Amino acid sequence: MSGTESDAERLDYARQAIEHAYDKGWTDGLPVVPVTAGMVEEFLATTARARDEVIAAVPHLGRECTVEQAAVNAALAGCRPEFFPVVLAAWDALMRERTVTGGGWQSTSGPAPLIVVNGPIRAELGINSAGGVLGPGFRANATIARSVGLVVRNVFGIRPHELDQTTQGIPGRWTLCLGENEEESPWEPLSVELGLPAGADAVSALLLRTSEFVDNRHTQNAEEVLWDICDTVARTGAAIVPHSSAGLILGVEHAQQLADAGFTKAEVQRWLSEHAVRSHAELNRAGKGIEGSPSNVDERGMHMVPDPGQIPIVVAGARNAAMSMVVRPFGFGGWSREPQLVERAAAHAPAGAGSAR
Amino acid sequence: MFEAMIDPTTRPSGGTTSGARAPRHGTLNGLTVGLLANVKQNAEEFLGAVGDLLAAEHGTAGVVRRKKLSITDPVPASMLAELADACDVVVIGVGDCGSCSASAVADGLAFEAAGIPAAVICSDAFAVSADAMANVMGESGYTYVTTAHPVAPLNSGEVRERATTALPTIVGLLTAQANTTAAA
Repeated sequence: MSGTESDAERLDYARQAIEHAYDKGWTDGLPVVPVTAGMVEEFLATTARARDEVIAAVPHLGRECTVEQAAVNAALAGCRPEFFPVVLAAWDALMRERTVTGGGWQSTSGPAPLIVVNGPIRAELGINSAGGVLGPGFRANATIARSVGLVVRNVFGIRPHELDQTTQGIPGRWTLCLGENEEESPWEPLSVELGLPAGADAVSALLLRTSEFVDNRHTQNAEEVLWDICDTVARTGAAIVPHSSAGLILGVEHAQQLADAGFTKAEVQRWLSEHAVRSHAELNRAGKGIEGSPSNVDERGMHMVPDPGQIPIVVAGARNAAMSMVVRPFGFGGWSREPQLVERAAAHAPAGAGSAR
Repeated sequence: MFEAMIDPTTRPSGGTTSGARAPRHGTLNGLTVGLLANVKQNAEEFLGAVGDLLAAEHGTAGVVRRKKLSITDPVPASMLAELADACDVVVIGVGDCGSCSASAVADGLAFEAAGIPAAVICSDAFAVSADAMANVMGESGYTYVTTAHPVAPLNSGEVRERATTALPTIVGLLTAQANTTAAA
């Protein structure tokens, strides 16, 4: 047998292994990487955490996910072993979210985990924070997020048409991992805003219902840009009265424009909180008239996001056009605002990196 | 072939045990009915109509109404204990979303385990989710009452109609010894 023939045989075998995974129902629709025991050990070697430590759970289903199960599914998703500490930090962050422990994976809303990575580990692992940040094309972004979805499917057993009752879902539901563009952001990174030291490798996470673009290359007036963003923030369709939500993945140009006009991140949050109001007439017109007197409703109408701290702002993307995304945090209880440090086994920490521990 | 491929669905064994069913009363006459509503729109109205019909047509003695505030979480232990103490049977619903249909089934099983016959009402759009939850609990084939989806936008007359239609199945589930009859 020639070298080419035996190579072809091995590739055929690889194809059959991928088909086997499909037959077993292990995939999210795309091919997965066949996982061996040796691969799992490579993943486990990147963390100091015990393989049987429970890192995620769906309490009302009595289902738990251990470090080892997360490692298997990260390998399956196509992660490199060195991505695994970020996967673990993402689960640490997600498990702080009431929406995650409260049945979000089963919701008709079909929410997507947004995983935001800060710190030098972005460059080290190739986590994209610039052009095309919402994907596709970057292995770390794509596979870290995908590994979360495979745990939901394979470990928790929450699958579409079964325990997952998603009505339509969100394009890219299991692909929303991004690095913050700290290099071009005019403000402190998200992880620092939320209380972690500058330079630390950290992951923040929350569930989203969707993202909606705001294209404003029309004005040099920062407040006009905010009004344009505000129109999307205050959209009646996103309101489940008397609740709504909003966050921003601000493009670099919008962020810099706002900062140049003197806005801090907190001031942008406050401005949107104050101005994102829909009138009673507009809500009534949409069949969403408000009964009773919730605290976020007054004579002006419904204040869509009354708490500025509940408007997460991340700066990401290329500095080549003034466009941003309004994102929709899922759930009414608010997000935890608790980023988690990326912790690596000593042998896998970069030389001289002390802040990552 | 592919024996060396790690199964990503493997989970530690155990956790699901098949729960007992509460002993049934032959009749509902003179019994106190617990109504455990969730926060879905029309859930309380639906259960209230069921309570009225049970009193009028089956001679139940009274109702205890409770509302579960979490869509997803199991019924709080204190609420379960309170209803189990005060009631002879419970009606639970309405499972009208992905999470709450599964949660309603879990609550029904919890009351059965506590010795109280339970009838769970889910909208038919979420039967798959309710069945999947029963499977998770090791209770494949658990029977509940289905009503047509949607429930949320119905007016009070329509809710009452639905309750009237569902009533025979509810009564059957609460009185029949084996919880294996067909859903309405």
